[in-house]
Amino acid sequence: MKRLLIVLSALILAPSAFAADSGLAKKAKAEGQVSFYANMTAIQPIMDVFNTQTGLKGKYTRISTSKFLPTVLTEFQAGKLMADVLQAPLPVMQMLKAKGVLAPYTSPAAASYPAWTRKDNQIQTFGIEYVGLIYNKELVKPNDVPKRYEDLTDPKWKNKIVMANPGAHATTISWLVGLKENVFKSETEWMQFLKGLAANRPMLVKSFGPTPAPVESGEKHIAISMPKYIITKAPAPLDWARVEQPLMGTPRGIAISSSAKNPNAAKLFVDFWLTKPAMGKLSTEVGEYVLAPGVFPPIDGMAKAEVIPIRTLSEKEIGSYGAMFKKIFELP
Amino acid sequence: MEKTMVKKRSVLTPTLIAIVGFLTVCPIVMLVFGSFSTGLGAFGEFTLDKYILGYTDPELGGIIVNTIIFVLGSSMVATGLALFLAYLNTRTDIPFKFLFRIISIIPMMIPHILFSVSWVLLLNPSNGLINLFLRQIPGFEDLAINIYSLPGMILVEGLLDLPIAYLILAPAMASFDIALEESSKVCGGTTLRTLFRVTLPVLRPAILAAFILSLVRSLASFAVPSVIGMPGRIYVLATHIYQSIATGFAADFGKAAAIGMSVLATSITLIYIYRYLTSEGEKYVTISSRGYRPTVIELKGAKYPLFSVVGILSMILIVLPVLVLFYTSLVPYSMIPSAKAFSMMSWKHWIEVVNDPISLLSLKNSVFLGVVGATLGVMLSVFVAYVIVKIRSHASGILESLSFLSFSFPGIVIGVGFMWFFVRTPLYATIWALLIGYIATYLPYGVRPLASAFVQVHSHLEESSQVCGAGSFTTMRRIVIPLLIPGIVSGWILMATMFVRELTLSVVLSRPGTEVLAVQIFRFAEDGLWGQLSALGIMMIFISTALVLLATLVGMKFKPVEEGE
Repeated sequence: MKRLLIVLSALILAPSAFAADSGLAKKAKAEGQVSFYANMTAIQPIMDVFNTQTGLKGKYTRISTSKFLPTVLTEFQAGKLMADVLQAPLPVMQMLKAKGVLAPYTSPAAASYPAWTRKDNQIQTFGIEYVGLIYNKELVKPNDVPKRYEDLTDPKWKNKIVMANPGAHATTISWLVGLKENVFKSETEWMQFLKGLAANRPMLVKSFGPTPAPVESGEKHIAISMPKYIITKAPAPLDWARVEQPLMGTPRGIAISSSAKNPNAAKLFVDFWLTKPAMGKLSTEVGEYVLAPGVFPPIDGMAKAEVIPIRTLSEKEIGSYGAMFKKIFELP
Repeated sequence: MEKTMVKKRSVLTPTLIAIVGFLTVCPIVMLVFGSFSTGLGAFGEFTLDKYILGYTDPELGGIIVNTIIFVLGSSMVATGLALFLAYLNTRTDIPFKFLFRIISIIPMMIPHILFSVSWVLLLNPSNGLINLFLRQIPGFEDLAINIYSLPGMILVEGLLDLPIAYLILAPAMASFDIALEESSKVCGGTTLRTLFRVTLPVLRPAILAAFILSLVRSLASFAVPSVIGMPGRIYVLATHIYQSIATGFAADFGKAAAIGMSVLATSITLIYIYRYLTSEGEKYVTISSRGYRPTVIELKGAKYPLFSVVGILSMILIVLPVLVLFYTSLVPYSMIPSAKAFSMMSWKHWIEVVNDPISLLSLKNSVFLGVVGATLGVMLSVFVAYVIVKIRSHASGILESLSFLSFSFPGIVIGVGFMWFFVRTPLYATIWALLIGYIATYLPYGVRPLASAFVQVHSHLEESSQVCGAGSFTTMRRIVIPLLIPGIVSGWILMATMFVRELTLSVVLSRPGTEVLAVQIFRFAEDGLWGQLSALGIMMIFISTALVLLATLVGMKFKPVEEGE
């Protein structure tokens, strides 16, 4: 049954933009396989379609964001980097680029992507790890749903919010800084927001992963989290607050390794990855916000939402903002 | 004869130091290099910055106080409960022993993150199931027992460390010499007085071993501090280390290693304290050449009241969280039990787990690692424990410390130490790297129960065998090992169940083809998919229960004499 589904998916994807250069496909075929390191979830269905469509063997290793850089750099420095293609948050990809881990490649499949997604000839940005306010629609009345981020400072949310630790979680730190740079008019407004949010004593967890469960179960009512959970956690009573301000997130990048053992298969994989149907699968099945034109996650209202990338913060900035948020949120 | 023995022993100790040292020192050495190097790798320009930054943090004092309370508290809970359960299970005629034995080991079989989440569902102050239940009682309407607190952390960590303590104490209790207790009774001592004045003091090495192993484990624990401590804003060393490296995308494990060195130093100190406290080994010998037969104490009138106490305790502390897991695996998302929840139950998460393409391979790899890893681990542990207990030289002290090296390091760091080491060997990204890493890290799970068992075997037994012309290995095989069966079974169970659910090393060392169950766990946990995670957790309990049954049955077959069970 599963095999049948993969074949059907491959047939649907076949007439797509993935019309690979026959020379490249031939060379890739000779290499036979491609290894992909990613920090994303549920990639296997896309790998299966790739395998069926190209006859290559795509091998996927998932590495968490916190271990991504140490793992890749350890392997690279020992001359044993097993990945041909790498996918990670843009700040991680930029650090890998600085260490010489990435190779130049401009995929023809990215031609239709917005110009800002190709700032260099190595990293192609293909998605945004978008952050929003998700709430339990059985517990929060429609009138109470926040219309602006500032609404989270209302004392009615005291002890009802869950979010990732703003003193340590890099994506949350970047998001809070993103609010300052893209949403609030002044630093004073931003500080008021931070202090108001802290005063509501949000429950702080390690990362985004544990944020939806307390909202689903009703332990908390609202989360600073990722709207993609509305798809992955269905039929949980989750919805997202359609705030007037833009949604923001860290861009996700993909690139080829400079020490790829299968460089042609790697290019073929990146070409495939960036096609509309492959991105559509990512969007539909796991609710990812992708940058392939016209492709949106099947979340009500998301096609109209303004989703913008957050500036890449330096490690030093993340450290100093993290320390500042620790003080505001009274963390040890 | 004596010279040959001494010669063989003198060869054995350095050989074992070489083997165990190779297994455990290599990753630590890499971490030491990393802690003194600039950059993110193991090698870079020399710097002291990571130590200076790590140890000048003004918050460190408070965190150390929390850590001390947490590790002492949870070790006391684990050892106290284990003593109570092990005594009742091995020495008395309490009914349904086998059931209680399995219940005592269950927390060992579940990924710790899952057990912690289960307790959050039971005891969170907003809508924890126990809180909701208690609030229906008049006068308790506003009750909000808060799991996100130090007592909450101590309770859950204590329960998670209970199997370790139990599996060290149970074999020691099972091989108790009747003569000691009978002498007490002849002199007019009551059962209770005998217990406190004779039984427990004689068991001191095993009790200390259980307590110290729990201390070391809770020091390195990350699941409870992250799932229960962090939301309550209670930080201990493990979460402090995580927070200090996870702030940013470039996690600096060298800095984590620098802070981790203090945990390592504490653990090694504890092991030396333990050695000092049990230095008069002969005092604790309970199996000499005569009269070895553990007895069963009849509980008489206390039998059923005690059975009820143990039953209720087991029910609330262990069975209930497992039931919550089972419930979570059946409902579509995290929801409070209600008519709606029950109407939405299905096997969806189970089917998804079983249909996951990597599941079968992971299952195969994990069972292989569990069975082969535990068998090899226990074989090595027999020799290590023998040297630690019976030779008791300065070198054996070194060996004992070495066996604890990887085990003592905070979990989130040691995996990276192994990665830094294995990447320089041809073993990188193979199943053998996992096997070696597992044995090296969890060696104390094999060594401790065996050491406790060795302490109680009198050297006269070996000497008699050797006087009769048997060589050292024959004596080990024919005389010593059969007497060690309860210890071997305990060590094997601890290692096998640990290897089946191992997460720390697996997420760093596993690659396509060498996936293990932990990889699936990691994927589900990262995505917050508690339904699938719970289904997998229950499957792991089944697999581990099968392994426990296997070990117990094999152990029973080789039992040298009738035990009192």
